[in-house]
Amino acid sequence: MGTQAEFDQMIKSGELIESTNEMTPEYLRELKHTLIVSGDTELISAPAYYLAAKRAPSINAFMTGIAIIQDELAHAHIAYHILEELGEDQEKLIFSRDPKSFRYPYAFDVPLDSWTELVVANGMYDQAGFCLLGDIHDKCSYGPWKRGLNKVMAEENFHLRNGRTWMKRISAAGGSAKDELQRAVDWMFPLSVEWFGLPDSMKMHSTQLEYRLKGLTNDQLRQWWLSTVVPYCEQIGVKVPAHKEVRDGKDVWELDYPFPCEFDAEEKRWDFKQPSTWDGVLVRWRSRGPRNAEMVAMFQEEFHKFRKTHHKNGS
Amino acid sequence: MTQRLWNALTEVQDPEMPVNLVDLGVIYGITENDGVVEVDLTFTAMGCPASEFILEDVRERLLRESGVTDVRVNVVWDPPWTVARMTEAGRDALESWGLAV
Repeated sequence: MGTQAEFDQMIKSGELIESTNEMTPEYLRELKHTLIVSGDTELISAPAYYLAAKRAPSINAFMTGIAIIQDELAHAHIAYHILEELGEDQEKLIFSRDPKSFRYPYAFDVPLDSWTELVVANGMYDQAGFCLLGDIHDKCSYGPWKRGLNKVMAEENFHLRNGRTWMKRISAAGGSAKDELQRAVDWMFPLSVEWFGLPDSMKMHSTQLEYRLKGLTNDQLRQWWLSTVVPYCEQIGVKVPAHKEVRDGKDVWELDYPFPCEFDAEEKRWDFKQPSTWDGVLVRWRSRGPRNAEMVAMFQEEFHKFRKTHHKNGS
Repeated sequence: MTQRLWNALTEVQDPEMPVNLVDLGVIYGITENDGVVEVDLTFTAMGCPASEFILEDVRERLLRESGVTDVRVNVVWDPPWTVARMTEAGRDALESWGLAV
């Protein structure tokens, strides 16, 4: 490894980093952190989606739901596999961590209880994943990850398609089906907006950006997400609390509620009259939401049970 | 007219892979009679998770052709689809995407 200045120059020039002996310790730490967030997010989406996919309204819809879950597990596998090559123990990461220390977005901790909520998740959460991973695919300075995302983007597109097609269908059905869709959007939209983290005005310094682990800031990613989700919802007749403004000839998406504000996870309800602080949001995120322990246990418990029986049998 | 319909279906992408349905080799036949189009189509797998989307896309695209008043799609399983049914262009598209075919 060369000097810090040489390394910084390498990053700046757009060169790709290919192995650990090219990295500074800080780059390695930051890369691992970014990969853990990505792996955990894909992994936890599997139990979160599965618990709702069980309620699919047809065999074909169930197959689509299950195929999406399989994709998500494969995406998680890419991230954990790279982590292993960077010296982490994959098995420990997945099966021996405390549920609260998983680093996926808070949104997944709030139960998806119906097919309608699942397809809104495909339309909104997978769009968030698409923006975040698309940016990494486009800009990431770590070669193996950038290349590993080639297929992921096409697959995330398929998830979006499922979300959007069903949202449109349910909205067109009208009546109580549409009411249920609107209720799902009402609580899931702000959770997705929150997904991208602190606003740029509060985030003074981003090592991830400096090391080109990603290319866009939190606010830029949030704007990208809003620019795809808001027009689509309006087109299919679903209300969302955001609108477009033109500033200096550029489209800017504005939220129609205080950001952040208070959320009741048990009731799945936002209180737009009750602004919150980012410190408050961080506390909520760190204490995790209603389904965190149950979902992590879904894959951890059986793993340890299986292990134990096998050891007993002397194998 | 049927040539025009085949061309139209080269614009319909598989929902999961960057290849169109004609190059993928899943369109077995197209006939047209008085504005009514019949399409014989198969899927690459019995459990194709994208089958509903594909049927919808085919119908929607063909209905946009002038003179087409109705589209009937028959899902056929015989002969079964294999990679040998792909065109050269389809194979190239999937290979450059990173899928060995």
